[in-house]
Amino acid sequence: MAAFSRIAALVRSWASRLHTEAKDFDPAELATAQEDLRARYRALRLLLSANTKALGLMAEMEIAAAGDRPVDMAFIRARCTALVVSVYQMVRQLNAMADGRYASLFDSIHRVKEQLRLVLEERSRDADAPLVVPLQAVDRSIRGIVGAKMGHLGEIRNVLKLRVPDGFVVTARAQEMFFLENDLWPEIDRLLLAAPPEGAHELFALASRIRQTIIAAELPAEIRQAIEGAYDELSKEMGCAPTLAVRSSALDEDAVGASFAGQYHSVLNVRRENLAGAYREVVSSMYTAQAIEYRLQRGLRDDRNRMCVGCQVMIDARVGGVAYTGHPSDPEDRNVHISAAVGLPMAVVDGRSLTDTVVVSRAEPRSILRQTIASKTLQFVCDAEEGVERQEVPEQLKRSPALDAADALHLADQALRLEEHFGSPQDLEWALGRDGELFILQSRPMQQLMRVDRESTREEAGPPLVRGGLCASPGVAAGPVRWVRRDSDALAFSEGDVLVLPQPLPDFAALLSRAVAVVSEQGGIAGHLATVARELGLPALFAVEGAGALDEGKTVTVDADNLAIYAGRSERLLAGQVSKRSLASDSPVHRALTRVMEFIAPLNLLDPDAVSFRPENCVTLHDITRFCHEQAVRETFDVSRDSKFPRIASKQLHHKVRMQWWILDLDDGLADDVHGKYVRLEQINCAPFHALWEGMTVVPWEGPPAVDGRGLASVIFEATTNPALGTTVGPQQQQGNYFMISRQFMNLQARFGMHFCVVEALAGDRDEENYLTFTFKGGAADDTRREARARFIADLLEERGFAVIVHGDTTAARVAGLTRDNVLFQVKVIGYLLMHTRQLDMIMANPLTVERYRAKIRADLDDLPRTLGDKINVQDDGNRTRERRDNPREETP
Amino acid sequence: MPITVLIVDDEKDFREALCGRLRVRRFNVLAADSGEAALGVLREHPVDVVVLDVRMPGMSGIATTRAIKHSYPLVEIILLTGHGSLDASLEGMALGAFDYLLKPARIDELVYKVQDAYSRKTDQEEKIRRLQFSTDRRDSGE
Repeated sequence: MAAFSRIAALVRSWASRLHTEAKDFDPAELATAQEDLRARYRALRLLLSANTKALGLMAEMEIAAAGDRPVDMAFIRARCTALVVSVYQMVRQLNAMADGRYASLFDSIHRVKEQLRLVLEERSRDADAPLVVPLQAVDRSIRGIVGAKMGHLGEIRNVLKLRVPDGFVVTARAQEMFFLENDLWPEIDRLLLAAPPEGAHELFALASRIRQTIIAAELPAEIRQAIEGAYDELSKEMGCAPTLAVRSSALDEDAVGASFAGQYHSVLNVRRENLAGAYREVVSSMYTAQAIEYRLQRGLRDDRNRMCVGCQVMIDARVGGVAYTGHPSDPEDRNVHISAAVGLPMAVVDGRSLTDTVVVSRAEPRSILRQTIASKTLQFVCDAEEGVERQEVPEQLKRSPALDAADALHLADQALRLEEHFGSPQDLEWALGRDGELFILQSRPMQQLMRVDRESTREEAGPPLVRGGLCASPGVAAGPVRWVRRDSDALAFSEGDVLVLPQPLPDFAALLSRAVAVVSEQGGIAGHLATVARELGLPALFAVEGAGALDEGKTVTVDADNLAIYAGRSERLLAGQVSKRSLASDSPVHRALTRVMEFIAPLNLLDPDAVSFRPENCVTLHDITRFCHEQAVRETFDVSRDSKFPRIASKQLHHKVRMQWWILDLDDGLADDVHGKYVRLEQINCAPFHALWEGMTVVPWEGPPAVDGRGLASVIFEATTNPALGTTVGPQQQQGNYFMISRQFMNLQARFGMHFCVVEALAGDRDEENYLTFTFKGGAADDTRREARARFIADLLEERGFAVIVHGDTTAARVAGLTRDNVLFQVKVIGYLLMHTRQLDMIMANPLTVERYRAKIRADLDDLPRTLGDKINVQDDGNRTRERRDNPREETP
Repeated sequence: MPITVLIVDDEKDFREALCGRLRVRRFNVLAADSGEAALGVLREHPVDVVVLDVRMPGMSGIATTRAIKHSYPLVEIILLTGHGSLDASLEGMALGAFDYLLKPARIDELVYKVQDAYSRKTDQEEKIRRLQFSTDRRDSGE
């Protein structure tokens, strides 16, 4: 580093023109020059405000990237936009001050913007994919455009040649076109930003608003025609006008395994004229409360999620249900578990009524190992016109097996064939048509989790409150009981509650991500809610007849593995439980955040005095902010350009003696009656200036710390060999403090002995714009001592709430977003440190002396409020490093 | 003298609520529900700062910005929108908008921006006045 920074050199040359007398010049021209400086200062203030905002946004994004708080793409997009605007503002103001000499920085911003856009945009790669694909042309290889569910069904139909209802798929490209033409993604972002779903109430309201927006949007004519055309083809082949089942088939480019649970919606028994409406309804199910929560917890990007929609002939089922080629919580049990209901299979998925269970052996010859015939009360049937209705099960069917033995065995056969083909246990949905024909409606990998037998700890837990039921999802958890019988109960559900339901209705799936466990009086292991509980790894105990004994609000421990619920928290049972999944650090949203941060945060331009500190070398947004800030301060100082007009003379501070303190008033920092070359302390109206002065003078400095022999020698040695510190420059000229001030603002470039530092502070009424930075480098002793001193000061500053970064021999500390009084207090701290750490280098090798000194400084600083007689609140918890106010926020409506 | 602010937003509830909040802060507040209506207001009343939504049916916020800057170059524009769009934000700034804020914005922050925008407007007016003054002096042969 040169002995003087470029700024200090500029200022010295300018300060040496002190002797220009203002009265020799035209008052109008003088006024113009004064106004020019003020205008420069105002541009500087706008730039500083944008800088503080930009740094605050970067800090916010870094915290999101590092922490556990899940964020979504709307958050990232909003922060990136605000950042780009702030940086633009800085470049604009710098160019205003510098006559447009830095216009190339606008190009730099555009370059970064393009990079950000690539990461953030929603467009997928399949621009040429068809809008509709008939089922006979579908297999797994095109699941990228038809979604996993329909991809599998196409495979089952066309490769395995099992019976699957005929139909077609409306592809991912259609959904994308639908969203793009209606500008839905920005609108959804707006809704997500306006009402982040903190509680269950907000979540349901938000989901509803987004879904309404999608349903109300117009379906592009091209898509409508493709759907109706495909229907007409189907109808022609069948020789009649069938009604269709319109079902979701979601696709997430980045999370293939997670594309099943979390999103489901079907509209059943739909006529041709209502296909467009049913399509929009199914697409809108991407934004059910459950789906929003699901993506948020997993860090999945909603903008890369696509809803493909399967349209298939509606099977008016006589009997239907679900089958598993194994047991969801018992890997030892590899038999086929069938749940059967009268009428449409949705009765099983719905969880509302009791269903038959049949277990068929995997081992050949296949046989029925056991079955439970439920008292079936409700069924779902197709309405004659459209849609589905609930009916009572006819008396004669109530207590007889819904599925006869032959059909059960045949179903088990098909299920096992599916398992073999797909290579993993399957969870499938099936229906028997009126003609007795078996149809496969859906097949997906079965979620399998381990149950644990806690025999020993169970005994210690004492007698359970409630026993029995079915383990729908294994695990142990404890929390307060929260009964949810109606939608309004759902709104009051809180994080950490145990969800208790009369029936495991799919409607309440959105609550599962906030729950620690779920208990239901009815239901089986095969419904939607059970599936989602397993997906989330949440303990779930269903068909618990005695659940009525659970009192609202009382804490219980649910041991789903062992079919028991205990009063209170049983720590023994809870010990060793794996905690609930939290946001994976390599989730798609996190990856997007990490990628955008690459173009935002890294700082390449470190040293303002280096030759490389140029606009061409600005790569990231942080580089641009750094460059603009440094350059703007220089532009404010740079008075040597236009020599036609007199420069507003800086004043020399006279306090008992003429000091090496030079003051330039940028606006309103000096009293009106200051004429001539000198200014007295009381004529200075700058609050940060006085704070610095106070800090420096409040505790008398007792001279350099007593130096051990080695220390002093090292200083002398360095001084004689370093030409920059050579003897041609006398001690008087080495010292100097150059201030630019206004009432609220101060920038100080200072030399204190061998150290060079910059102190910049803004202390106004706008808390969020206030800040203080302290940068220092240099020192007289050798490198080791110099670094030790830098570290010493950095530690002290960090203790007092500064964010500190050390690059080489430069240390930079910053604090922001404080009230005026708090900023001024911190300036006093800096003043104190400036005075009392000057000659520390010399003693840095002696640990005992260092510790004594550190203790003394700490004590002095802790005492500072008392010493100064300040009555302000020193504690400003966590605000400084996070660069945000803690005060309650008033928002625009 | 109170600062005159024109709020332009097609969403009635938001527009009226924001007008109310700014009146409490002693701004002189006018309102319009579209870009075209905004230009109509500007024809009749002197306005210092316009707070403008980007996404409106009919004349867009960007088009409105362009039109206002063309006919009333000294009026400052703050774009206030619920949509975080990289392209729209830079386009707005390049057209001369004073700033681009995302909803929900804190009322304090919006007030500061309006004050800063107003300061810029008066600075520009002052600069023009002085240039005019010195030109006049020159022309009159002083």
